[in-house]
Amino acid sequence: MDVIEEQKWEPKILAFCCNWCSYSGADLAGLNRMKYPENIRILRVPCSARVNPQYILRAFQKGADGVLVAGCHPGDCHYSTGNYYTRRRFLIMKRLLEYSGIDPRRFQARWVSGAEAEKFRTTVTKLCEDIKAIGPNRKLRGLK
Amino acid sequence: MKRIGVFICHCGSNIAATVDCAKVAEAAKAFPGVFFSSDYKYMCSEPGQEFIKDSIKKYDLNAIVVASCTPRMHEHTFRKTLANGGLNPYMFEMTNLREQCSWVHSDIEKATDKAIDLVRMSVAKVAKNEELFSTTIPVHKKALVIGAGIAGMQAALDIADAGHKVVLVDREPTIGGKMPMLDKTFPTMDCSACISTPKMVEVAQHPNIELMAYSEVIEVNGFIGNFDVKIKTKAKYVDHVKCTGCGLCETKCPKKVPNEYDLGMGLRSCIYKPFPQAVPNKPVIDAQNCLKLTSGKCGVCARVCPTGAVRYDDTESFITDTFGAIVMATGYDLYKWEDVYGEYGYGKYPDVVTGLHFERMVNASGPTGGKIKRPSDGTTPKTVVFIKCVGSRDSAKAKSYCSRACCMYTAKHAHQFVDKTPEGNAYVFYMDVRTPGKAYDEFYESTLRDGAVYLRGRVSKIYQDGGKLIVKGEDSLIGKQVEVAADMVVLATAMVPSAGSRELAQAVGFLPDLNGWYQEAHPKLRPVETPTAGVFLAGTCQGPKDIPDSVAQAGAAAVKVCGLLSKSELETNPMTARTNTTVCSGCGICVSVCPYKAIQLQSITERDHHGHRITRNVASVNNGLCQGCGACTVTCRPGAIDLQGFKNDQILEEVDSLWT
Amino acid sequence: MSDTTVKMRDIAKDLLDKGTVDYIIGWEKGRFSNQSPPAFITSAAHVGRLIWDEYCLAGTAKYLLDDKFPTGKIGIFARGCDARAINRLIQDGQINRENIYIVGICCSGMKDPATGNTAEKCQYCTHPNPIVNDILLGDPVPETNKPERFKAIEELERLSPDEKYEYWSKQFEKCIRCYACRNVCPACNCRECFVDQYRVGWQGKQNNEDENRLFGLTRVYHIADRCIECGECARACPMGLPLMELNRKLIKDINKLFGPYEASMDTETTPPLAKYNLEDIEEFM
Repeated sequence: MDVIEEQKWEPKILAFCCNWCSYSGADLAGLNRMKYPENIRILRVPCSARVNPQYILRAFQKGADGVLVAGCHPGDCHYSTGNYYTRRRFLIMKRLLEYSGIDPRRFQARWVSGAEAEKFRTTVTKLCEDIKAIGPNRKLRGLK
Repeated sequence: MKRIGVFICHCGSNIAATVDCAKVAEAAKAFPGVFFSSDYKYMCSEPGQEFIKDSIKKYDLNAIVVASCTPRMHEHTFRKTLANGGLNPYMFEMTNLREQCSWVHSDIEKATDKAIDLVRMSVAKVAKNEELFSTTIPVHKKALVIGAGIAGMQAALDIADAGHKVVLVDREPTIGGKMPMLDKTFPTMDCSACISTPKMVEVAQHPNIELMAYSEVIEVNGFIGNFDVKIKTKAKYVDHVKCTGCGLCETKCPKKVPNEYDLGMGLRSCIYKPFPQAVPNKPVIDAQNCLKLTSGKCGVCARVCPTGAVRYDDTESFITDTFGAIVMATGYDLYKWEDVYGEYGYGKYPDVVTGLHFERMVNASGPTGGKIKRPSDGTTPKTVVFIKCVGSRDSAKAKSYCSRACCMYTAKHAHQFVDKTPEGNAYVFYMDVRTPGKAYDEFYESTLRDGAVYLRGRVSKIYQDGGKLIVKGEDSLIGKQVEVAADMVVLATAMVPSAGSRELAQAVGFLPDLNGWYQEAHPKLRPVETPTAGVFLAGTCQGPKDIPDSVAQAGAAAVKVCGLLSKSELETNPMTARTNTTVCSGCGICVSVCPYKAIQLQSITERDHHGHRITRNVASVNNGLCQGCGACTVTCRPGAIDLQGFKNDQILEEVDSLWT
Repeated sequence: MSDTTVKMRDIAKDLLDKGTVDYIIGWEKGRFSNQSPPAFITSAAHVGRLIWDEYCLAGTAKYLLDDKFPTGKIGIFARGCDARAINRLIQDGQINRENIYIVGICCSGMKDPATGNTAEKCQYCTHPNPIVNDILLGDPVPETNKPERFKAIEELERLSPDEKYEYWSKQFEKCIRCYACRNVCPACNCRECFVDQYRVGWQGKQNNEDENRLFGLTRVYHIADRCIECGECARACPMGLPLMELNRKLIKDINKLFGPYEASMDTETTPPLAKYNLEDIEEFM
């Protein structure tokens, strides 16, 4: 990538948000006109337990600079137990990603409830800042 | 082949002020599958919706993307628009350009780029949408209430009054639960039996309620609207049709055993009614102790019975019935403090009793005729110590939760003791005094005025010294140790889920929580439902609470049941899981993960590649139970079970589209 | 070992003569003296082919899937790893216990045909004695926990992200996508592998480092809580990828995060990723 492109580079971060908590927390942030970086793209799922760890690998493979999985706090899942499985799955996937050489700051999982608009804002803002600092993701993409 | 229409909404200036909608609509024209793309001021308005319907006809569109506000707001609206426009309502995706784009960003160029990306995601997803159709399941108009304490009775009465048939089951020989065992109820001090026994009679006489006492639910199959339940009625050895309840048999029975109803403080005969106002007011025979049933001797009751109702050859009987809804009202038991609290004597001191013992003592129809007497020698105690939080708020060796009713009933007991005992001394050792309800704090204050002494501190030891129980504790407010020479100690023990409730929950098909209380569907917003559709909760089985809250919750559960039974069929949510049986290998992991028990392994017969007929298992989803969370889909490695509306290929396309 | 060979042949002859089983899966000599590939004996006359020596490396359990709906029973010789593999297949609903007759053999380890030293997969074996069997040959071999099997993983964990990436890039560059690892693995028993789901499109078919890595990482995640550490994948890989360094990484993490766990020691225990504990470690608050 040449110098001019690098200066204009903006990270593109994919966020999987569960419909009942984190997605509505994001909506609440909008209702309150809170501001956060434009780098985030939200993909709505019914429950964080719907997020297959393979989607994370796919996102990085296609060019994502960062991925966020946001769900309800344990105990508050709309489907009662979904996020307990999400927690186990991503504890393992996070470690596998790290072990294969991905910078651990690129993948985050967070619990954001439907009332935590501020938490959504700070989570997203921090993630974007962290990723801006470490640069574009070249790993898992077959680029050299 | 999809012909996608894209509609970008300005939402007045809500979106248009920060996102260049015309540019987004123009960019969308180039997305794969898009045959029409336009922007408009207010998509949700009538002309906006007409615009969609007209475009469907004009451009022969078969999938629609509307980019506007959050789908949590208008997804339903636009689905109806599609249906009115002749399309399946699920050929639709919504892009959130307002709450998650225009309202949270200020840079127009970046916000527009983001909007284009978001629309691209929706277009990619909708290209893989399939037509979805909801199905219906029938609803049997009959409710089952398990447990006939105050909550169960109230729920049954409310449902029956609404015109629905109810079967009310209780495993004891009498209904009523714990409430008739109590003497007076706080804060008004009405007689507990006087307010609960009329309800018991009302239940027994209600034309819509079928009462099954001395019975247990042993098997539940099926799902909401269609629960197939097997109920066992234990052998009563008395024909309740012939029996008139005259009670002659009880007076003649030669063998007396400790009465469970009086917590062992009194005696009953082997042919017995638990208490005089029992409903049904007919006795049963205690097969463990009856001389005739254990050794063939005696038989007096059969000889004296005027109607010949005694039947020593009785056996248990079973019925099966189908119900639309089930209400769990199985109540509570008290924590077995004797197993754990050595500092209070492990139960070896007869004068250290629980609050429920005290209730039976002070109850005029109890074993002591309403007189507070020491169990050891029958004398009247002058100094009684009450200890709260025994077994509750004790994460070190017992339960960590607060048992909610003890502060009030201890105040009540202290008040009753002081009231009945001239020059009596009541000491209450407490950690806190929790009196949140109506007139509760005033009641506690009046107990203090009565002369009860409240000491803030725990009791470290009780030991016998002569005829007295020495209670060593602390008054933390003055920072000193205190010692009370008591005649009797009353422990306010924690409520725990009633015995057998865990196994019953498993049989019915839902989960108790960490402490064994029945888990509600959502801790704040759905307190009377369980995650299992069609199973509701009432009373203390969901958590410790007092009588007003139990009755309120029972009414709430009854309304939910009536809402369900008022329909003759239920429409199911079509965004449910679905199995591709060719790919499914029948490993069954998805079955264990489903919170609603909606997946079963079912056997199918097919020809294998040798041409032989083989039978194998595949996952099968019950669309009535599946709530569409998708937890199962991730357990399936090849993706044989997939979630309609959020399929694997849809999500992968969404992810890919951001970087094409 | 030759004593065991005699016993093997006797039992096989007995089972086939009596008609208890239709055929038996075991091992026989290959073309060279350091090869003992799997054998499928269909008649009592052929039991002389069966052999038990230090080159019986191949796992026998996966071959049971070739005949999932047998008319009679299948006999199978099973070492410790094979017995766990059989449990795995039973729990995954792919075979019935009633359809197989397991002759267990207590195994003290096989040799690597190339070097003549103990095979890598056997160096870290924790359960050499078959935990499920209908009849047992040989004396039980002492079992140890072998915590040193995580040593290589711990060393890799200490590298920086770039170094780790470099290491795995070199490995996945070698992969030729023959899918031998998947084909030989008892935990890989899906009717249709995610790789072949072309309609869903989980995985590209291109044989480049990027897609190879995606296949490798996804397969590891798929078998994470069901891997029995038989090491067949690494043994079968023609390009020598250190696949057990991936599988054991997840096993180590599962043990650390969710409590001690060994897959397929019985057919009832639910694997950790299909369960949860309310007190699971919380990193995502």
